[in-house]
Amino acid sequence: MSRPLVALREVSQRFGADGGAVTALEAVSLEIPDGQFVAVVGPSGCGKSTLLSLIAGLRPPSSGTVLCDGEPITAPMPRKVGMIFQEANLLPWLSAADNVAFPLKLRRVPRAERLDAARRMLALTGLAGFEDRLPHQLSGGMKQRVAIARGLVQNPAVLLMDEPFASLDEQTRMVLGDELLRIWSETRKTVLFVTHSLNEAVYLADRVVVLSARPGRVVDDVAVDLPRPRRFAMTSSERFGVLKERIWQHIKSAERP
Amino acid sequence: MTWPERHRRASQAALYLGLLAAWEILPRTGLVPRLFVPPLSEALATLVADRREYLGSLPTTFGEIALSYLIVCGGGILLGQLVGSSAVAQRMLLPVLRSAYAVPLVVLYPVMMVWFGLGSASKIAFASIYAFVPTMLTAVAGVGALSPALAETARAFGATRAQQILYVALPASLPSIVAALRLGGALVIVGVIVAQMLGAAEGLGFLITRHRTLLNSPGVYAGIVLVLLITGLHEILLRGLERKVAAYRQGA
Repeated sequence: MSRPLVALREVSQRFGADGGAVTALEAVSLEIPDGQFVAVVGPSGCGKSTLLSLIAGLRPPSSGTVLCDGEPITAPMPRKVGMIFQEANLLPWLSAADNVAFPLKLRRVPRAERLDAARRMLALTGLAGFEDRLPHQLSGGMKQRVAIARGLVQNPAVLLMDEPFASLDEQTRMVLGDELLRIWSETRKTVLFVTHSLNEAVYLADRVVVLSARPGRVVDDVAVDLPRPRRFAMTSSERFGVLKERIWQHIKSAERP
Repeated sequence: MTWPERHRRASQAALYLGLLAAWEILPRTGLVPRLFVPPLSEALATLVADRREYLGSLPTTFGEIALSYLIVCGGGILLGQLVGSSAVAQRMLLPVLRSAYAVPLVVLYPVMMVWFGLGSASKIAFASIYAFVPTMLTAVAGVGALSPALAETARAFGATRAQQILYVALPASLPSIVAALRLGGALVIVGVIVAQMLGAAEGLGFLITRHRTLLNSPGVYAGIVLVLLITGLHEILLRGLERKVAAYRQGA
């Protein structure tokens, strides 16, 4: 196998005083090849989001190394890694296009050039014609599309998505899931997609990484062998159910409601 | 514009007109003695007739207001941003400042006249001290309102510390800066006029006091009309500014 695009080696993350009050992740090792769509699931508080923030370079791991394209990640690398959060986190005073162009503004790309790139990304995410809207003039689903366009605007190799559809309603979530698959097949990014929804994980991903309850360890790594393109009808297929059941067994034993 | 909005505006206009009409009519019917409140038209006539005296008081008044405005809003907002961005400073200073807010600072004015004399310096000093703390507290509130999620998003996209302040923190606090300007300006106008009324040799407040000692009611109210115009103008300008920065409000 060729060199993985993203690799974690024995990564642990502890929070709190004396470096040990809470262990969020423990000895997580993971290799993600270029172009793979990986979903990360696990019980609440298992460190899924922490995992993404390490790859995003927002904080250094307590121990272990995180590599992107063979280089250790010590700070955010926005040109290689695009991030999409649970909330769209748009700047409320900027138009949709200016929000998408914001990462380019930080790199001092000339305005005309970056707005051009933003327009192309908004077209890709299905928001052509909404360039001048302010965030409060957009629906929740549209805001999240803007956030996806912003994550893609620097053409990063890796897209990190931290429960990006969690605050949307079911229908919007399904539509955006299909949209994401279309964008993914057009751009061939490597995607790390954290979610609470097992349906979403199995439906979207090539592979589902299952983390245990805190401290988070990798307890299973499930290859999703459903054919692509995915169709809604597959969610009621027997294979879909078998995969979901296998993941659920891990999570059920860890969740204590 | 929606219908309820139109209704609201219409009823507001009616309220203002009603107040002005009452001001004109009640003294004429004798229900209110003319010495206490002369009809609006008499106050306006006096203002026009003695316009040189009244307009002549404005340069001093505006000069004092402008300088205090600069001290209060410049210093208060800057200090508010500094205090607001430090949790330790907030815990230490805010309780003290909130108590200081409750002190009737006008008791300090006689002392300031001794220190700074009868001229503009004492008015500027008093108005600045009077308006400083509330303005600063308003500015502090805006800094605390910055969402950590926006800051982290900017960081994930590679924003440096300076870029985070310039592109995220500062725009996010614009609405509270304008709110601080509005409050600070209004208090500065009050401070200057009150100081002029309590002891001065010139200025609009001084004119009002002089006409009052002469029992010249229309003269007093002509001055009051001017004060109302000044505060009204300030209010309109700052409200316009507030509308302009409304989009900067978070969660909009």
